[in-house]
Amino acid sequence: MIKLNDIVVKFGEFTALHDINVHVKEGEFFTFLGPSGCGKTTTLRTITGFIEPVSGTVVVKDRDITHVPIEDRNIGIVFQSYALFPTMTVYDNIAFGLKIKKVKKAEIDRRVREIARKVDLSDEQLQKAVSQLSGGQQQRVAIARALVTGPAIICMDEPLSNLDAKLRVQLRNELKEMQKEFGITTIYVTHDQEEALTLSDRIAVFNKGYIEQIGTPNEVYNFSKTEFVCNFIGDINRLGEGVVSAMIEAGADVDAGKHNYIRLERLHVNIPPAEGQLALDGIVESREYYGLYIKYYISVLGQTLKVIEKNDGVRIYEEGQAVKVVIDPRDIMAYEPGPDEVAQ
Amino acid sequence: MNPAAERRLRPDFIVRMIGIAFFAYLFFGFMLLPCLNTLTSIFNTRNAAGERDAFAVIRFFLAGTMGKFVWNSLKLAIALVITVNVVGISIVLLTEYFDIKGARILRLGYMTTMIYSGVALVTGYMFLYASDGILTSALRESFPNMNPNWFSGYNAVLFTMTFACTSNHMLFLRNAIRGIDYNTVEAARNMGANPFKVLWKVVLPTMIPTLFSLTVMTFITGLCAMSAPTLLGYNSINPEIVRLAGSSAADEAFPQARAALLSIILAMFTIILLTVLSAYERKGHYLSVSKTKAKLRKQKIHNPVANVIAHIYAYILFIIYMTPVVMIIIFSFQTYGAIRSKKLLLDQWTFINFFGKQDYQYLTSRGKYKTRVGSISGLFSNEATLGGIKLSFILSALAAALACVIVVVACNYIFKKKGKGSGLVLEYALLFPWLLPTILICYSYRTFFNSEAVWYVGNANLYLKENVRFLIVMAYTVTKLPFSLRMVKASFYSIDEELEDAARNLGAGSLRTFLKVKLPIILPSVLAVFALNFNALFTEYDMSATFASTYGTSYAMVIQAMCAEEGLYGYNVNASGRRCASTVFIMLVSGLILYLVYGVGARDLGERLEARDRRRKRLEKLRAAFSGKKRTA
Repeated sequence: MIKLNDIVVKFGEFTALHDINVHVKEGEFFTFLGPSGCGKTTTLRTITGFIEPVSGTVVVKDRDITHVPIEDRNIGIVFQSYALFPTMTVYDNIAFGLKIKKVKKAEIDRRVREIARKVDLSDEQLQKAVSQLSGGQQQRVAIARALVTGPAIICMDEPLSNLDAKLRVQLRNELKEMQKEFGITTIYVTHDQEEALTLSDRIAVFNKGYIEQIGTPNEVYNFSKTEFVCNFIGDINRLGEGVVSAMIEAGADVDAGKHNYIRLERLHVNIPPAEGQLALDGIVESREYYGLYIKYYISVLGQTLKVIEKNDGVRIYEEGQAVKVVIDPRDIMAYEPGPDEVAQ
Repeated sequence: MNPAAERRLRPDFIVRMIGIAFFAYLFFGFMLLPCLNTLTSIFNTRNAAGERDAFAVIRFFLAGTMGKFVWNSLKLAIALVITVNVVGISIVLLTEYFDIKGARILRLGYMTTMIYSGVALVTGYMFLYASDGILTSALRESFPNMNPNWFSGYNAVLFTMTFACTSNHMLFLRNAIRGIDYNTVEAARNMGANPFKVLWKVVLPTMIPTLFSLTVMTFITGLCAMSAPTLLGYNSINPEIVRLAGSSAADEAFPQARAALLSIILAMFTIILLTVLSAYERKGHYLSVSKTKAKLRKQKIHNPVANVIAHIYAYILFIIYMTPVVMIIIFSFQTYGAIRSKKLLLDQWTFINFFGKQDYQYLTSRGKYKTRVGSISGLFSNEATLGGIKLSFILSALAAALACVIVVVACNYIFKKKGKGSGLVLEYALLFPWLLPTILICYSYRTFFNSEAVWYVGNANLYLKENVRFLIVMAYTVTKLPFSLRMVKASFYSIDEELEDAARNLGAGSLRTFLKVKLPIILPSVLAVFALNFNALFTEYDMSATFASTYGTSYAMVIQAMCAEEGLYGYNVNASGRRCASTVFIMLVSGLILYLVYGVGARDLGERLEARDRRRKRLEKLRAAFSGKKRTA
């Protein structure tokens, strides 16, 4: 469907994107994830045509659109600010693209009302100014405006970032449902890893203009290809020298020459170790109570390990309490240290 | 390059070339060359023997006769900085910071200078305080020995301008004080500071940047003062330039060179001050760091004596501001007889000062009565007055619109070329007139275009006959460019860049994006700039005085003429009444414009739709009530 081949983008001397290669499949929900300044929005803007790459090609449905003008690309976009035209009503905002395409008035009306119904905007809301709508409603207008012209692809640039936390979760679900209903190929840009994990079919993790990994949410989370990815996605423990050597002594297959990581939920407190698992002595330093779960900070062999336990009401450990931390060496993700780093 | 790209380039290229040619013509033809001509004319003097003597006027200046005007202007400017700041800060604090009873009424009074200024205000003050003024006459009945000419010269100019020039304080300082985070005041109070201490240590320091700008602006206003010194008789720079410009070498030594020198001196002062100001502004301001600002609450003055003094002070200022306004409004509806007797006569109400004509009978020196037909006439019935109003209306509207169009086109380009050379050059070219006093531009136009040697205007003498109107429009436009540019540029900043991207993504080309998306967003600001420009130009005096001629008699000049002796030989009988009516008319026009700009124009689409809904509901209610009544009937 969409193929980015060896895309390079430069702003003056600065190279914003280095040899980006992505292949998005038809109907897929594909997310560009990364910290700010990593090149994810630049990649999106290259697809929509706001930025022309120095080299490489953008191919959509086997057609090279690298040098096709923005307005002829037929790619919808939902902006971070929504970019709704403040001087037009909701109706006129949605109808804008159709009017430019010189669609007949009656047809415009039919299509605007149809898409409005689909995104749950009432007739009354259509006659309002965009400033009279709430954040969530504005987002629906932005989506309707992007979809009404029937684009092949829709791009969303952090569309949830200026909403409050509760609305974000609610709209996240709505977004996913709408995408399923419309079946449209979606490219989604976000720096929020939780958003990426819950929404996406596949994720491309960006860092400093490179793609570190492309994979399903499970792949990038549990089988992070690089140290950056494993650090950026979710919380994680880096195992110190003490823990690593204790594991090696116990006969586990751990390489002390690498950086070893383990996710918080893969550690357990005071459970009987299964085969191949190890139990290490530790003392609870502190805990954070989240309701759904409890996060413990446990001092183990000269380092603090973070452990998450489901708040099932059975086990709650107090500060200073001696506990056993159970670790499974198969859960460890190990990475070669960088050229100028020393292994722990 | 492929042929498609080439095709796209061509019209673009032509438009660009036309744009460059236009702005180059505007800048060189109507800013730089005329002013350079003025500069060089200083050194183009001849001595008594007719030989060229480049430094004659400089020696003349150093000999001392001209220094008086410069010193007078400086003296006025320095005094004004003190008095305007004292009054300006007072009125803002009294209405916004301290809890004074009747603050809303007081504020309306203090804001009256926003709806009438310049010649309308000065003639208004004269109507009260001049030797034949209403108040002076009333006072002389009680104090026969008082000097009837007390209101003239330096003191009168200082007094008038002190109260006339506080509009900027009311606009900018008021905003600054309302922008203060009240939590900072509460924090200071919490730590034990009394209201005056809070004012001195917390509130005033945050207003220093605004006060600095206001001080510089006031200083420049004082230096470049025109209407008050001319009408009240004070020998400062500007009136002298206008006098010299109209003088001939037969009467005095090189008047043109002297006028040029004075205007260049004025320009130097202005440039220095503005450089200081912009250097200071570039240093950055105190920005409020708080994200959750609390609204300022008014401070009660707990000390009863201080409280009473503050109230008395507030109301004295109110009386000073309001008396001319009230008197002018009242007397604009009084007959010439009442005005001439300087007394309010309750049985002498009339509309004649506004509309209609009446004949006037007067006694000649031979003891006979003569009738002058239609000699008493209203503002809109008097040919000369109506002519001035019409001329000013057309020229101001043209210039205001022209300035807006130029600036919108320029801003669109500047924002496209953000930070790049050509955009910056254009921006500075349009800001150039800001550095020059209005009088320099006008004087330069008057002298430079008063010849048939300027090839780029088709060798036409633009100061001659009707042509002067074109010159006035150009002067109006050029002097309004910097202000318009600053305002419109600010509104361009409010266009979210993503909007442009969104429009293009939806298929709109750049012209369509501009017309359908960007223009509607900036349109309220552009209309506001148009209205404010028009408002300022409609009663503009400084430029009008420089260009004054048979074909260029603007409204301000007509108003000034109304101050001339009235009733002689039965002419001009109700000139004073018409003058009052004029000021009332100006106040109405300005008030309406300000209401449109800040009241209606500031509403966004949502607020307009809501207002429409409310109107519709009211109408429906009315209709329902009406039909209900009908049914019961």
